[in-house]
Amino acid sequence: MSQRLRLALALTALAAGLVDLALLLRAGEDRPGPLAYLLVAIIGVSWSFAAAGLVAWSRRPDNRTGALMVTVGLAYLLNGLLLNGVTLVRAPLGFELWFLVATLPEAVLAHLIAVYPDGRATTRLQRLFVVANYAATVPLALAQLLLVDPASLGCAECPDDLLALGGRHPYGEAVLAVSNLVLVVLAGLLLWIVISRWHRAPEPRRRSLAPVVLVGVVLVVVYLIGQALMVVMSSPPSPIEIGFNLTILMLLLLWPLAFLAGLARTRLDHSAVGGLAIELSKALPPGRLEQALARALHDPTLTLAYWLPDRHAFVDAAGYPVELPAAGDDRAVTILRQGGDPVAALLHHAALDDDPALVQAVAATARMTIENQRLHAEVRAQLEEVRASRARIVEFGDAERRRVERNLHDGAQQRLVNVSLALGIARSQVGTAGDEELAAALDEAAAELRRALAELRELARGIHPVILSEAGLGPALAALAERSPIPVTLAPVVSERLPPRVEETAYYVASEALANAAKHARATAVTISARRRGGDLVVEVGDDGTGGADPDGSGLRGLADRVAVLDGRLHVHSPAGQGTCITAVLPCAS
Amino acid sequence: MRPTVLIVDDHPGFRSLARKLLAAGGFEVVGEAADGHAAIDAARELRPDVVLLDIQLPGIDGFEVAERLRDGAAGPAVVLVSSRDRADYGARVEQCGARGFIPKAELSVDAMRALMGATG
Repeated sequence: MSQRLRLALALTALAAGLVDLALLLRAGEDRPGPLAYLLVAIIGVSWSFAAAGLVAWSRRPDNRTGALMVTVGLAYLLNGLLLNGVTLVRAPLGFELWFLVATLPEAVLAHLIAVYPDGRATTRLQRLFVVANYAATVPLALAQLLLVDPASLGCAECPDDLLALGGRHPYGEAVLAVSNLVLVVLAGLLLWIVISRWHRAPEPRRRSLAPVVLVGVVLVVVYLIGQALMVVMSSPPSPIEIGFNLTILMLLLLWPLAFLAGLARTRLDHSAVGGLAIELSKALPPGRLEQALARALHDPTLTLAYWLPDRHAFVDAAGYPVELPAAGDDRAVTILRQGGDPVAALLHHAALDDDPALVQAVAATARMTIENQRLHAEVRAQLEEVRASRARIVEFGDAERRRVERNLHDGAQQRLVNVSLALGIARSQVGTAGDEELAAALDEAAAELRRALAELRELARGIHPVILSEAGLGPALAALAERSPIPVTLAPVVSERLPPRVEETAYYVASEALANAAKHARATAVTISARRRGGDLVVEVGDDGTGGADPDGSGLRGLADRVAVLDGRLHVHSPAGQGTCITAVLPCAS
Repeated sequence: MRPTVLIVDDHPGFRSLARKLLAAGGFEVVGEAADGHAAIDAARELRPDVVLLDIQLPGIDGFEVAERLRDGAAGPAVVLVSSRDRADYGARVEQCGARGFIPKAELSVDAMRALMGATG
């Protein structure tokens, strides 16, 4: 249906243009040179708009841009036909009709520029402009027709109007000035819409917008200058006006070509798919595939997400979950499928939806590489899951240790303390009664109880050192040094509080290294330091023992695992006979 | 005149035993409290010479209670107690303004008198 309609419109435009040309040739001898050129140029502009509009219409039937362009072309043809016909027939009413229709092409053109490339007004400002544009056109033309001298409108050969008001009405000049002012305001508003649209447009849309906007901006600027001159100079000389009109018509001739150039640039983008294929033939690291796709689609904001069937979720190249954007914002998603199942998703600017064929072509070219990278992402996601699970296990273990320590403190320790106090009270009562045997037995029980309490406290401290959560790493290391059976020197130790996981890991590194120095290395002196280096905490424990520590032994292996949970590193330097130095680097941001 | 004592601990068993121990040793126990806020209210109302204050309390802990009770020479002498070691709390024992620290298992009249006599 729409194909037939387009064919009919094409034939109409062709026929109307030919009739127009024939009329022009017939009236040729009566016309001054510049006006004849102007009329021929109008036919050229008409065909140019109609042809480019039909191409755009067939390419994007859902977009009204093509239809608007065809309307511009037909409006110019109607304008030319009426002018030439009226000139030949010289019927006064014909001039009235022509005058009213004469501003229609420019009104439709302004509408087209304001809503390009969507083809419809999407913002309040655009809607306001479109309504004001049409609302001002006909009333202004009517007012000029009734009150203004045709000669001052640049139509010296127009006949006197039938209403016999033209040229003699006292408000004629004022009406003309107001009309021109309104047109200047509308043109300024249009310029503002175009510039702000350009500013907001993402890279992919700018590429197709650029030629159209460039010619459009020049056109509006020239039009503004022309209108401003008409406001300043009450009766501009005819050659200047014809010159402006010719310039505008030349730009109008270019404008549809600029539109086609915009389309051609999209075609060139399709040829960039070949370049992408060459790039993908080399082995690409994970992040580079996303960059290559972003370059091919001219969308620097593009991100690539891989589908993990087991998780029913999308992840990025590093294996972290990716949320797909909600519908309605300026982000869009293209799901890439294989055999109906999702493989990956391209998250890109909604402007790329203007050319879904390009996105699909790029996706098809990169399909193999994407599938490869998806498998990599799956492995990385599993690794990330393992890492997170290990962190959860450590966190759970730490929480359990704190709970057990608290239970010991509130339960068994408290009861033993009460027994100790009760024994003390009994002892003081026995002391006054003078039963020495009973007093000695009570003293012995009290001493045994104190030893049991001391052991229980030591056990609780080993499970979780309260001073670490109470006072921080510095005091905890100081307390550790005080209780150590071998002399410990504390080199500079951080005084600031750090994230609990970092403090706990640092403490266990120092505590385990100190225990090893005492138990296995027969050391006589140990030095502990804990200092900030950039975003890391560096814990270093050195001793003067026998060295030869096995980094794969269960103690050090466990420490290395614990450090790795924080994405940290553990280094053991333990040459035989030269002491041991254990260094842990712990990122504090984790 | 017997020195007056306020006992603060969330374990009733400990409060009861401490009361017996101190009363037998010549102290007058003027009140008890089971948490930090009640301890502050009782100390301001009863104006004891000594507050025997557990560190681990529900709500605000013993360190904060000691800091709030610190009122120059007019405030009570605060003696912190805990079933943990003093070393488990680092410098906070000194910083909170308490007169001293006694492990609960070693609480005795002599230890109390020694701390009270330390500053007269």
